[in-house]
Amino acid sequence: MPEPRLAESAARPSPRPLRHVTTWFDHHLYSFVASLGRVARKPWSTILTVGVMAVALALPLGLWLVLANVARFSGDVEQSRQISVFLKPQIDVAAAQALAGTLRARSDIGQVQLRTPEQGLAELRAGGLGDAISAVGPNPLPSLLIVTPKGDESLLAASLQRLPQADLVQHDAQWRDRLDGWLRFGTRVALVLGTLLGLGALLVVGNTVRLDIQSRREEIGVLQHLGATDGFIRRPFLYLGAWYGLAAGAFAIGLLTLAAIALRQPLADLAARYGSQFWLDGFDPLTAAAVVLGTTVLGWLGAGLVAGHYLRQTRPTES
Amino acid sequence: MSSMLRFDNVSKQYRGGHVALADVSFEVQRGEMLFVTGHSGAGKSTLLKLIHLGERPSRGAVLFGERNLLKVRGRRVPLHRRDVGVVFQDHRLLADRTVFENVALPLILRGMRRGEIAKRVRSVLDRLGLGARERALPTQLSAGEQQRVGIARALVGEPQLLVADEPTGNLDPALSAEIMTLFAALPERGTSVLIASHDLGLVRRLKKRVLVLDQGRLADDISPEDLADA
Repeated sequence: MPEPRLAESAARPSPRPLRHVTTWFDHHLYSFVASLGRVARKPWSTILTVGVMAVALALPLGLWLVLANVARFSGDVEQSRQISVFLKPQIDVAAAQALAGTLRARSDIGQVQLRTPEQGLAELRAGGLGDAISAVGPNPLPSLLIVTPKGDESLLAASLQRLPQADLVQHDAQWRDRLDGWLRFGTRVALVLGTLLGLGALLVVGNTVRLDIQSRREEIGVLQHLGATDGFIRRPFLYLGAWYGLAAGAFAIGLLTLAAIALRQPLADLAARYGSQFWLDGFDPLTAAAVVLGTTVLGWLGAGLVAGHYLRQTRPTES
Repeated sequence: MSSMLRFDNVSKQYRGGHVALADVSFEVQRGEMLFVTGHSGAGKSTLLKLIHLGERPSRGAVLFGERNLLKVRGRRVPLHRRDVGVVFQDHRLLADRTVFENVALPLILRGMRRGEIAKRVRSVLDRLGLGARERALPTQLSAGEQQRVGIARALVGEPQLLVADEPTGNLDPALSAEIMTLFAALPERGTSVLIASHDLGLVRRLKKRVLVLDQGRLADDISPEDLADA
């Protein structure tokens, strides 16, 4: 038997492509307004939902922020991994400059900075030790080469120690290695927790939308009887999930920005006591926008998964 | 007259094993009004569900015009449902939407233009005596008015077939008669009407064809003439 076109007169009111576009736009507008109405009709419920989601999102985002700052700090440590090479007292400035030039040509060395005995003496005098130094007679300080490694600093330090001009090589490899280890571990912990809490946030959105779907089962049933497509029924929930995600993302960014402002000065003061200029960075506008976009997509996805699951359950039974 | 709906040896067995319909065959002509009656659990609701694809038959075929409903799947199910107006015993109006918005829903689903929606909704509301109530919420209406809104919503899309499941179940006799009068006028406009009801008194008064279901089987198919003689 030939299959007639369904709802010939009404379901396809006009074959014009423009008509389909306006229908699509009208349906999206309907869903957009309907979802906003749902949010506005239950302000306290919305605030609580967004609050729970924001806290759930703030935890991984906070970890991410800490991670970004730790990575920056780790970068600073990397840059400060300099090796101090104290030359023998008999090496004069000219020979020291020649040696510095030779070292700069090496592929495992990034930078070489020469500090002459005079410069060292001036630094000590500036630090208030001028009289003590004068008491020991002529300038006793050797020339110093500050070497920034490019590759494995331990190998380089050993190599520098073998230079005939070198008297003493200072290289704090052990504590730097330990710090590196802790940083790598911290990064991995933050990523794992971030993934778990991000999944938690997705579940929070899904569960919130599930509760909303449960409270609207009758309405959904009526719409299905009237001939609503799955897309038409799903769309307001997708918008709702997106609203929740957007609001929760913005709220979480706000919370973390406030936390960063509160912690920034005490942390800077603490860092200054260790001679560091470490400064806690918050979210830059581009990152904040990306986060809000991400949480909006997260909300949309969570709502889509739950709504899709519900709609699959309401298909006509085949038995 | 041509066939609007045909059940050919239709059976429905649910997953738990309960047989709701067994080997049921009948035909409804375009513009015909008939009742389906029977005790609770006789299979009336299942029969209506098979028509608007709330369920699918376990055996047999349901033909809607020339459309074999067994072949209607996926995205085509909602399109089929737009050809069937459904009226519920409990009205099932959306409580947070006005009368106008409730009645407009089927037309919104079809992507109709807003001007055309307003024209058709007002026309059907006027026809059912609800013109002055279009801005009211369902909770502000009497039971009879709510049922009329439900009927308006079912009719506004000009369905080929209207099915009603115990549409007067919650109404007093006077309101029931009023609602039935509305249904009785629909065949004149070419709409077929199938009403499930266990109110035998009401069924007898309207003198329409009656299908009697008993434990899922079609026990009797009584013509209006036979009903008048009964």
